Amino acid sequence: MSAAPRCGGLLLLALTLALPLLKAAAQPQAPSAACAAPADLLQSETTLPGLAPILAGHGSLTVVAIGGASTLGAAAGDPDRAFPHRLQEILRRRFPTLSVTVLNKAIPHQSAEEMVARFATDVLPFQPDLVLWETGTTDAVRGVDLDTFAMTLQDGVDQLRRRHVAVLLIDLQYARVTESVIEFEPYLDALHQFADANDVALFRRFEIMQLWSENGAFDLHDVPKAARAAQAAQLYGCLAERLADVIVGASR
Amino acid sequence: MQLTSAIRVTAPPAVGRLDDRRQRDLRLDFFRGAALFCIFIDHIPGNLLTWATLHNIAFCDAAEVFIFISGFAAAMVYGRALTQRGVLFATAQIYRRVWQLYVAHVFIFVVFIAEVSYTVSAVNNPIYNDELRVGDFLEQPHIAILQALLLRFQPNFLNILPLYIVLLGIFPAILIGLRRHRRLVLAASLLLYGVSVGRGWTVPGYPDGETWFFNPLAWQLLFVIGALCGHSAAEGRPLLPQTPWLPRLATTVVLVAALISLSWGLHEAYEPIPALLLKSLWRFTIDKSNLAPLRLVNFLALAIAVIRVVPRHARFLRWRLVYPVILCGQHSLHVFCLSILLSVTGHFILGEFWPGLAGQLLVNLSGVALMIATAAVLGWYKNATASTRFIDPAPAPSGDP
Repeated sequence: MSAAPRCGGLLLLALTLALPLLKAAAQPQAPSAACAAPADLLQSETTLPGLAPILAGHGSLTVVAIGGASTLGAAAGDPDRAFPHRLQEILRRRFPTLSVTVLNKAIPHQSAEEMVARFATDVLPFQPDLVLWETGTTDAVRGVDLDTFAMTLQDGVDQLRRRHVAVLLIDLQYARVTESVIEFEPYLDALHQFADANDVALFRRFEIMQLWSENGAFDLHDVPKAARAAQAAQLYGCLAERLADVIVGASR
Repeated sequence: MQLTSAIRVTAPPAVGRLDDRRQRDLRLDFFRGAALFCIFIDHIPGNLLTWATLHNIAFCDAAEVFIFISGFAAAMVYGRALTQRGVLFATAQIYRRVWQLYVAHVFIFVVFIAEVSYTVSAVNNPIYNDELRVGDFLEQPHIAILQALLLRFQPNFLNILPLYIVLLGIFPAILIGLRRHRRLVLAASLLLYGVSVGRGWTVPGYPDGETWFFNPLAWQLLFVIGALCGHSAAEGRPLLPQTPWLPRLATTVVLVAALISLSWGLHEAYEPIPALLLKSLWRFTIDKSNLAPLRLVNFLALAIAVIRVVPRHARFLRWRLVYPVILCGQHSLHVFCLSILLSVTGHFILGEFWPGLAGQLLVNLSGVALMIATAAVLGWYKNATASTRFIDPAPAPSGDP
């Protein structure tokens, strides 16, 4: 299942071609109360202590998002609608005195190991204050050895911490139907246990999306074709809002 | 085997010592049946009943129970065949079973393809498409099917039968080894486990770069330990020293592991509850692929403790309520395959029609009921065929090793 960036490319191309159409249909909507999430999903004992002085100051905040297809956000039809860019907008709004940059360094279909290999070129040169690491999906799809997965997380986080870069892990997307085809739970558990054991901040995307799916905020399955990109954009916007909550909460 | 046991389940047990050894140990059937229920329940994502399965109160889960008991039962059944009718016959019997497992695997694969084909069209949402690539192998079905037949392509749920097939495939060698020198077999198995885990040896899968989720080089150890126990039980040569401290130690390990494991689960659900020793232990429990050391230790302790707490003729094994579990354990292959189909279907029903508690209750109850009903029909059929060919004391062996 790994050998299909080709199709991702085609999809991207198709979406790019359809962009003018989509733009009309898909004005990113203001996040509504529907994409709220309970505090216990957003709060954590784990903190990002290094960020507090930066958020309180007047300098700059550099964030690098490294991840896969859902970070790249091609489904929304425009990189500006992916969650990293939306996060940048939200943080700039919440911290007007701060110069916020969120870089999107996502490449679809990469395992955690392949992402760590990119740290040296795609993450560290930007001297980020915070790295958002979205990972686990490709490992679950490929059925990567759990030990390899866990040790890769350790390796990646250690590398960032040695350089005093704060890191926040983002877990898997929730997908109601594909859950029966791909075994997510071991990877989700491994990611959570790793974060817990190493005091790494975590964005519980899986549970948050599951909640939205169950309470009807997002019906991610029966969506007419024309509305899909708009919905993806809305989803990424909502996720960015909650992600901003988690980052700000953990920085206190 | 099955044939005799099925009759004996209903008849009161003979207590003679020799007979004791020849008679099927109902504890095996009971715990294998319980493991099958756990596998069914654990395979439905988000199922609330997973709180009640072994996984939640131990570092190991039903997979360990299943593989261990399979090794145990295989040593009993094929060990007898080896003694009575020789190496060639026992090997033929084992390979007959391997073939059955293989056919079952292919059958489940076909059902899986149907499920995936449906899912790909149902989840035609770009949010997931680009990320999950569920449809990838439908683009190259000729290769995917070939790789599945070669046991290299193991999608979700299709990873435990290939392990079992490989383990039974090498079983004739294990069996002969056990008769010659049982400790040597254990030493060789331990060595293979240690070296494979230490060196990171794995078995390649499909697509390229992937590996078997259950690494047979590591999991063979548990199967061999199971076979060793089964062999020793059949021969009446106890494997472990009959000391009082060993069961006590094992029980302590089981209780401590249960406490820790439960605290991890509770912590995940509600953060203020502390996850005991998570920082120091998680590395030794997470690796299910390679039978992580603490999983193995926890399981062995559990086995020792259970043998002590539950005697062979434990009363509860005769309870009416427990009989369905035993029945399922006696027809484990069929019930296992059915449980996989039921998990997939159950998840589908939960996702599409009845999310929430009522749906979960319905799926769990009807799934378990169907498993029991299937086992009951199989048991009835075995009994019926047994009574029609009344004198055949050297039965076609099968049972469910």
